[in-house]
Amino acid sequence: MRAHRLGAALAVALTAALAACGSGEPAPRSTEAAQSPASAAAQGPVKLTYWTWAPNMDKIVAVWNQAHPDIQVTVSKQAGGDDAAAKYLTAAKAGNPPDLVQAEYQHLPSFIAADAVADLKAETAAIQGEFSEGLWRLVTLGTEGVYGVPQDSGPMMLFYRKDLFDKYGIEVPKTWQEYADAARAVRRKDPGVHLGTFSSKDPGAFTGLAQQAGAQWWSISGESWKVNIADEATRKVADYWGGLVKEGAIDDMPYFTPEWNKALNDGKLLTWPSAVWAPGVLSTNAPKAKGKWAAAPLPQWNAGESFSGFWGGSSTAVSAKTPSKAAAARFATWLNTDPAALELLVKEAAIYPAATKAQSALGEAPEYFADQPDFWQQAAAVSAGARGFTFGPNVGVTYNAFKDAFDKAVQNKSSFSAAVQAMQDATVADMRKSGFQIAQ
Amino acid sequence: MAGLTTAPAAARRRRGGRRARGAAGHRPWGVAPTALLLLGAVYCLFPVCWVLLAATKSPSELFSTPTLSFGTGFLSNVEQLFAYRDGVFWLWAGNTLLYAGGGALLSTAVSAVSGYALAKYRFPGRDAIFTVLIGGILVPAVVLAIPQYLLFSKFGLADTYWAVLLPQILHPYSIYLARVYAAAAVPDSLLEAARIDGAGEGRLMARVALPLMTPGMVTIFLFQFVAIWNNFLLPFIMLGDDGKFPLTVGLYTLLAAGANQPALYNLILTGAFLSIVPLIALFLTMQRYWRTDLSSGAVK
Amino acid sequence: MSHSRRNAWPYLFLTPAMVLFTLFLAVPIGYTVYLAMRRTRVSGLGLGKGARREVFVGLDNFAAALGDAELWHGWLRVLGYGALVLTVMLGLALLFALLLDSARVRLARFSRIAIFLPYAVPGVAATLLWGFLYLPSLSPLRDVLDVDLLGASTVTYSMANVAVWGGTGFNMLALYTTLRAIPRDLYEAARLDGASELQIALRVKIPILTPAIILTTVFSIIATIQVFTEPTTLRPLTNTISSTWSPLMKVYRDAFVTGDLYSAAATSIVIAAISLVLSLGFLRVVRDRAFEEG
Repeated sequence: MRAHRLGAALAVALTAALAACGSGEPAPRSTEAAQSPASAAAQGPVKLTYWTWAPNMDKIVAVWNQAHPDIQVTVSKQAGGDDAAAKYLTAAKAGNPPDLVQAEYQHLPSFIAADAVADLKAETAAIQGEFSEGLWRLVTLGTEGVYGVPQDSGPMMLFYRKDLFDKYGIEVPKTWQEYADAARAVRRKDPGVHLGTFSSKDPGAFTGLAQQAGAQWWSISGESWKVNIADEATRKVADYWGGLVKEGAIDDMPYFTPEWNKALNDGKLLTWPSAVWAPGVLSTNAPKAKGKWAAAPLPQWNAGESFSGFWGGSSTAVSAKTPSKAAAARFATWLNTDPAALELLVKEAAIYPAATKAQSALGEAPEYFADQPDFWQQAAAVSAGARGFTFGPNVGVTYNAFKDAFDKAVQNKSSFSAAVQAMQDATVADMRKSGFQIAQ
Repeated sequence: MAGLTTAPAAARRRRGGRRARGAAGHRPWGVAPTALLLLGAVYCLFPVCWVLLAATKSPSELFSTPTLSFGTGFLSNVEQLFAYRDGVFWLWAGNTLLYAGGGALLSTAVSAVSGYALAKYRFPGRDAIFTVLIGGILVPAVVLAIPQYLLFSKFGLADTYWAVLLPQILHPYSIYLARVYAAAAVPDSLLEAARIDGAGEGRLMARVALPLMTPGMVTIFLFQFVAIWNNFLLPFIMLGDDGKFPLTVGLYTLLAAGANQPALYNLILTGAFLSIVPLIALFLTMQRYWRTDLSSGAVK
Repeated sequence: MSHSRRNAWPYLFLTPAMVLFTLFLAVPIGYTVYLAMRRTRVSGLGLGKGARREVFVGLDNFAAALGDAELWHGWLRVLGYGALVLTVMLGLALLFALLLDSARVRLARFSRIAIFLPYAVPGVAATLLWGFLYLPSLSPLRDVLDVDLLGASTVTYSMANVAVWGGTGFNMLALYTTLRAIPRDLYEAARLDGASELQIALRVKIPILTPAIILTTVFSIIATIQVFTEPTTLRPLTNTISSTWSPLMKVYRDAFVTGDLYSAAATSIVIAAISLVLSLGFLRVVRDRAFEEG
């Protein structure tokens, strides 16, 4: 009897599934599917779904929802990083994407190429001036279209242990040459300590360092892409770090591993060339070293210059399939340019805002850097010197090639510029395979 | 019947064994089986103990105190985890329970009925059906997830509870196990006798076969429950709304917090530890079914 | 009359499984085959509407998967890893199942739950957890073992250990439950003849278990060929594991990292085919014993 009832229950479940299949209608839009039953009213407000991984975004959105009863946004908090991009692309392909999505700058071109994000040129014409030219370029790729509203940015700086620099008698390096000398000096003074480490797992960091040296990996000329990953600037950066790793002057442990956390806590690593968001990471991963870290501009390739690059940062993009593009663009604009929203983004989501005037409005230094009251002024200065960059339509391939090639190079202590060449070859081969037009 | 004679006999032998161990050299490997098993148990428990220890550490202790020591942050970790985004952890736990409980129940029913049919009937196409069903295991879940998602989307079922529940009901390994259990535990003679008494086939299965298969079904339920509880990829791809996430995907959003956000290791470890606890409880509850004497159902 | 009606019953019992199979396996597999024969073609910059379309390319993707040297290296790595995992894991599972089933073991319930417990730990968590234990500066094992457990020469063993740790309990329980399903009086006779527990295990239990052992082995072979979680989770911690270490990792990379769903589909069909050949080969070797319960 029992089995009979189970069988019946199963039959009901399957019939329901089949009935749903049989109806054969193309997918109801995710916006409708994901909504609360309250939305049944025909003339109700516009409902938007928003995929993001920024912390506390629901609190910020609540402020918007309060003020805009006609456009209600629902936050769905996702995992961040490369998986988030893959998931969004899959959802877009399936015809099931959210209306709004947080898109990292390097993934935006893939989204555009997959026709997954809408062109907001008309809707954003008024706000272009709120952002620096370099950041704006990241959401236009230098084309006529505008594919997102810049949200946060990550100009790179050098973070260092002030107390240990004093202990070992090291000056803050102003050039990469001085950084290399300091690395060797540290090894002589204490073989248990390294000045820094090269991570073969973080293509974003390497890309930022290459940007600082003036690399332009992708560019658009007419109807063709130019791919120039193994350019002179990039090879210079690669060989510099390769030499330091090979002679043992710096370590080769990847960032963000438990081991790296421990090294930071124990004072075994004295510097981290990172981005302006580093205080958040350091305060969570190395709470013991609070107040002992300081920030300085990145070392330069030529004395007297003041260049930087970007590591990280993201934009708010609107799905190409959304039926409420105008409403979504209004929300994206508000979120990233409205003074009240920006203040919340900084306070609640702990981001470094992309909007220029919000950057200069930042007051108190992060708690972790309490000893450095001019932290945000420094950041703004660095940000002004960050070089623009265009990402290509298959950054996933390039970044994956970075990890594989640099893993091998670090392990075998082989040439880093050969690894850069491997990135170039993999990227071009993939673009050729798909049919992208490539200019020589 | 067998049970009645076995239990005292085993007890007698056990006492005998213990005495024999006292008599030097009679059975030199007398303690060896127990020792071997305990060795295995220690090997298996060691990393689990590590999670327990790690879950007690506050963020500042996690990477700075010796690995094998207790921390002081367990309660505050738990508090933080429960408070995280207005207690979304409980929502994830409830979803997980729904997916794992519902899925495992349906899966056990389907597997048991199929296994019984495959083991106890001879009919044209039996081997072909068995091979086809079992062959499903050849296709990796990673591969199936995307086409399943694209198809579910076509029919408007993506990002629903069904999208996670339905694909996990059919489990080739469980059907295979059910077939083996049915073959071993359900004597043909018993079925024939019941048929002569005029029992219908459906009744035969429900009243005679399934009770005999209980230990096997418990195992299948347990396997499926744990498998669905721990599944990550399918819900990760199928679900967009974080209110429908199971624990694995939810905790993953803490780990992959975003490029410029630190992973919340202490909450993840505490969450991982807490998500194992119900499984241990389930296992302890299910244990007793393996002790039930197998033929008791038939004797009654 | 009644006979023919009885003939319909097994089909009825199998209907739910077949319906589920069709909906959630056969159709998606068919769709995968369809995807494997297609590819996107972009024109010009590939940006904007209409710049990208899907085209039929026949068997090109399969040819690429079969001609990919990196994939064959992956197969070799997995073969070595699999041989290690299969022998150790199944050996231990059989040993523990027999020990648990023998009457003379104490603390059996404790051991049973302890050995099964790792199965309750999600694969990703298990690998992370062992990863913490492998990392030189964090590992308490490092005081005992003076080797880099994530080095080029040791990383395969370290990964195999994770798989053995996580899988032994599951297989042990599958075998143990099968043992429990065997009527006890079968070995009573042997006992009365004065056979020792060891002799009963070798001469009575293992022969009865053989079909279960064989199929457990087949399933483990398939699972090993599909090894994915362990290397993927350990990869961020070491530079000795590439993104194509195992064939399934390449599938994942193509589908999720580089966005080439079509190559991923083709490669996965190749993986399924090779799994099929290997498991059929194994079954052929031991065929006579596999289904003797029929």
